[in-house]
Amino acid sequence: MRDIVKQRLLVNFGRLLVLLAILGGTELGIRYGVLSRLFFSSPSEIFLAFKMQWAKGSFLRDLSITVFETLLGLVAGSVAGMAAGLGLPQLRFTSHVIEPFLMVLNGIPVIVIAPLFILWLGLGLASKVGISIYIVFFAMFIPVYTSSLRLDPTLVDALRVMGASRAQIFWKVIVPSSMPSVYTGLKIGSGLALIGAVIGEFVASRVGLGHMILYASGTLDTPSLYLGIIAIAIFAALLSLAVDALGPLLVPYRFSDEK
Amino acid sequence: MLEFRNIYFSYTGRRDTIEVLRDVSFDCSENEIVAVIGPSGCGKSTLLNLATGLRKPTSGEVLIDGKPVHDADPRLGMLFQQSTLLPWRSVVENVELGLEIRGEPKGSRRQKAIALMRQYGLAGFERKYPHALSGGMQKRAALAQTLAIEPKVLLLDEPFAALDAQTRVVIQNDVVKTCRAGRRSMVIVTHDISEALSMADRVVVLSRRPATVKEIYVVPFSLEAESVADAPAMPGFADYYKRIWNALDISIGGMSMVA
Repeated sequence: MRDIVKQRLLVNFGRLLVLLAILGGTELGIRYGVLSRLFFSSPSEIFLAFKMQWAKGSFLRDLSITVFETLLGLVAGSVAGMAAGLGLPQLRFTSHVIEPFLMVLNGIPVIVIAPLFILWLGLGLASKVGISIYIVFFAMFIPVYTSSLRLDPTLVDALRVMGASRAQIFWKVIVPSSMPSVYTGLKIGSGLALIGAVIGEFVASRVGLGHMILYASGTLDTPSLYLGIIAIAIFAALLSLAVDALGPLLVPYRFSDEK
Repeated sequence: MLEFRNIYFSYTGRRDTIEVLRDVSFDCSENEIVAVIGPSGCGKSTLLNLATGLRKPTSGEVLIDGKPVHDADPRLGMLFQQSTLLPWRSVVENVELGLEIRGEPKGSRRQKAIALMRQYGLAGFERKYPHALSGGMQKRAALAQTLAIEPKVLLLDEPFAALDAQTRVVIQNDVVKTCRAGRRSMVIVTHDISEALSMADRVVVLSRRPATVKEIYVVPFSLEAESVADAPAMPGFADYYKRIWNALDISIGGMSMVA
């Protein structure tokens, strides 16, 4: 037991060292001219860029807009993907007809379809949310759809023998049995939601972290470029932690200790 | 009383029609246990699916007390070979599932489920998930679930095949006792001659596909044995075992075994 605690402390200590090495290394490297200011940036310069952007009020606006686009895309795309993934297998004929179309749509790289969304939904938020919904939809739809199709028929038979109606089988077996796939979908989708929002901002936008990064890159404002990347990295990490925390709520039986 | 009357069943495959059951007739009285045994793939399980109404016979009928069975007949309960406990429900929620489907209010169905669990040695496991239970306990939970709706006729489809030898005997014994105590009719499909002889009052031997009733043996010692574990020691057991083995016409090493 004490060994495990010791091990964990050591691991965390090691991680802290790596972080300090990166921060200290870049700081000293820039200060003494070892690293080029054009390609790299030091923590103090990035912090300065942060203070400047914050004072302008643009950082908070860019961050909140990207966060908003991502979360809306994640929620709406997941709900739509779940509804389609659970509903389509119930409509056998329809699902057979449209399955190949969905598979082709899913195969189109998001960057290719992004300009179309800008054309349809304009330069504002709607197009970014639209792109985000589009990729999150497939991240959720594919695992949920596959799990509904692969449902153990014995479970359905057992419920039918007990007198369950189609609706009861849907709500008591099909929906709960898809929860592990919903969780998978959320995990993949949360990363993709952010990618969708930022790609939309890259293609055409006036605000958002993607816009800030692109602008910083165009004006050779390297510290702001790093600031944007770090902000996105922290947001992505927090989002992933939040989705992980949903696991015990969605699939409690997978997280119960006893095996 | 359960009665299979002149059952024919065939289904249309890719190329041709496959005849599974041909003129199968037998019955199972109140307080009687009938084992159905036959070569693998002969259609034993199909017979039970016809009894539950999950499938319809091509011709012939299945009757309980002279009235045809219908889909989701409340007079029938079935125990499946695979686990049909829903992994996302606690054990008590699984046991009460049949009652829940029938719209019984939460309070009374919970009470019944807890009482049944106590009866089957599952007290204290109400809030656990099925995967926390041993194979034998899972089977007992499934049995409690089946019995919760108080079926008159109990159907068992090779339910103990996956259990280890000792657990199997204990649960076989539980099932026999349950059946006798409730004066139920029980039909158990099995490929295990010892299981058939240890549990049943009569053994129906089916032929290869298309399956017909080849022989029906009355087991003279079924009610004399104190428990399922004692059956193999009863006089005549070995003799019946051989007769059924021969009737099954299983070839070993290319030769039919003749006693």
